Amino acid sequence: MSYLSTTNFFEDRAFLDKWLYTIRTGELDLSWMKSSTEKVKPHAENPRRGLIYRDISLGSYGVEAIPEKVRSNRCYAPRGAEIPPGMPDAQPWVSRKSELWAHNTDGYYEEAVTRQWNATTDIPWNHLEGAELPEATGKALAQLMTFLTEVEMIATDTPAMWLPRLNPDFIEVKAFIAAQAMDEARHTEVFRKRALTTGYGLMQASPMNEMALKHLRDADSFSEMSVALHLVAEGNVLTLFRFSEYLSPTDVDKKIFRLVMQDEARHVGYGMQHFKWVLEHYPQKREILHSHLDEAENISFAAGAATELTEAFIILAGGGLKAENIAQGVRVTTAFQLKQMQEHFERLDKCGMPERKSIDRSKLFAMFEMGKAAAAEAGIKF
Amino acid sequence: MAVRFPSIDYFNALKDQMAADQARFRRLGFIDTTFGIRIAHNGASRNFVLAFEVFELRDVHEVAELDLAKLDFAIEGDLAVWREMIENIKRYGEADTAHDLNTLAHFGEALKISYADPEGHDKLYRFMESIQEFFDLSSRVEVAF
Repeated sequence: MSYLSTTNFFEDRAFLDKWLYTIRTGELDLSWMKSSTEKVKPHAENPRRGLIYRDISLGSYGVEAIPEKVRSNRCYAPRGAEIPPGMPDAQPWVSRKSELWAHNTDGYYEEAVTRQWNATTDIPWNHLEGAELPEATGKALAQLMTFLTEVEMIATDTPAMWLPRLNPDFIEVKAFIAAQAMDEARHTEVFRKRALTTGYGLMQASPMNEMALKHLRDADSFSEMSVALHLVAEGNVLTLFRFSEYLSPTDVDKKIFRLVMQDEARHVGYGMQHFKWVLEHYPQKREILHSHLDEAENISFAAGAATELTEAFIILAGGGLKAENIAQGVRVTTAFQLKQMQEHFERLDKCGMPERKSIDRSKLFAMFEMGKAAAAEAGIKF
Repeated sequence: MAVRFPSIDYFNALKDQMAADQARFRRLGFIDTTFGIRIAHNGASRNFVLAFEVFELRDVHEVAELDLAKLDFAIEGDLAVWREMIENIKRYGEADTAHDLNTLAHFGEALKISYADPEGHDKLYRFMESIQEFFDLSSRVEVAF
């Protein structure tokens, strides 16, 4: 047990006397009623939407009241509450706003809450009855689902492990991160269910993939985690989900990928807004983030081109293992990989880091240029 | 009575169907995006702006040209592609695996997604199921071309 109360209340005479005194006399202390906190009257600006976080962002309770460096609250006191003496130090790792804040954080959370779905009941699993895929495409789909299950397990753990490290004054970010962990748990569930319903079961785990995922899990700061997870990894996975939807052999798979892409795009949205925020409000981090991006791009490039993922895509895109299927699959998969890189650099540009679109600054950009040239030579458009 | 595609009447018919099926769209969640639709035919085009808010289509209007700077994204395609999609939805009650929006637009071969802002572009995917189910409401509307 890493934390022990500083008092043993079972043996504390004063505490026991007070407890018994209240029972005996009914005499109340009521000092908490004199809390000198702000009185506000929130109302829903748009009744169709309901009472959202933004409607209660008022005065000392509002996000505007959060300073860049939160020094006054190191416990779990809700933002705006009176903090009496004697509160334990919860030792949050992140108490600087620019380390985690994003434009529209509360909006992403509200959207997440209303757009939750259920992997058990919202997917028409019964449509798979009698739907049998040819062995090659069935196994390729099972391999893709195995890969994605693995990805989503770490995508669940990574945001969740940061939750207790974030200062409780950042309640909107914590709520968003908690919702993300739920989203990722649901993705793990839906991909595992689909892998098993292919009839081929789970296929092979991916060392390259896990190397990339470990990089996300072990980031040194929240911002580095967010850049690697929300912006790089989930940006790539969003493109991958759209591509997978495009390739999906059944309406069940289409529905799965349309629903997971919604969640993923929301996470990417938060990541972009955070990245913009940190570049605008904490410019000293720019070079650190460049350095983290160097590694994130290195690993995502390798994971995206991992044999066990690429080959599954080639077979799904080409529709089988015959030479003409493989040729078609390579063309489509190459177009997807280039699109993935193109969208990554578009997002960085929009966030305020256009300088990575240079072969001197980003090795991935050099790979993108090389890939484009090779694709053009092979007559592949993307 | 059939509504003509493309027209404001068509989108208003879908808007009415969306309002009539609020439980379904509330279940899908908030949808806050403004995007354009471009239907090209014989060298000209009809262009519409659809503004969704909370759970419904708040406004639809026709414009001479789509201004991507004011839109999250635009879905563009020839009338023949839009017609095939709508007829497919009508036939099956919802788009089949070859006619849903992401499939038609993925490599820009049938429909094309244009955008000025990558965040706006990502909104297509943030609200994909709502947008798909909005177009799937075409199955309940008589459409003439």
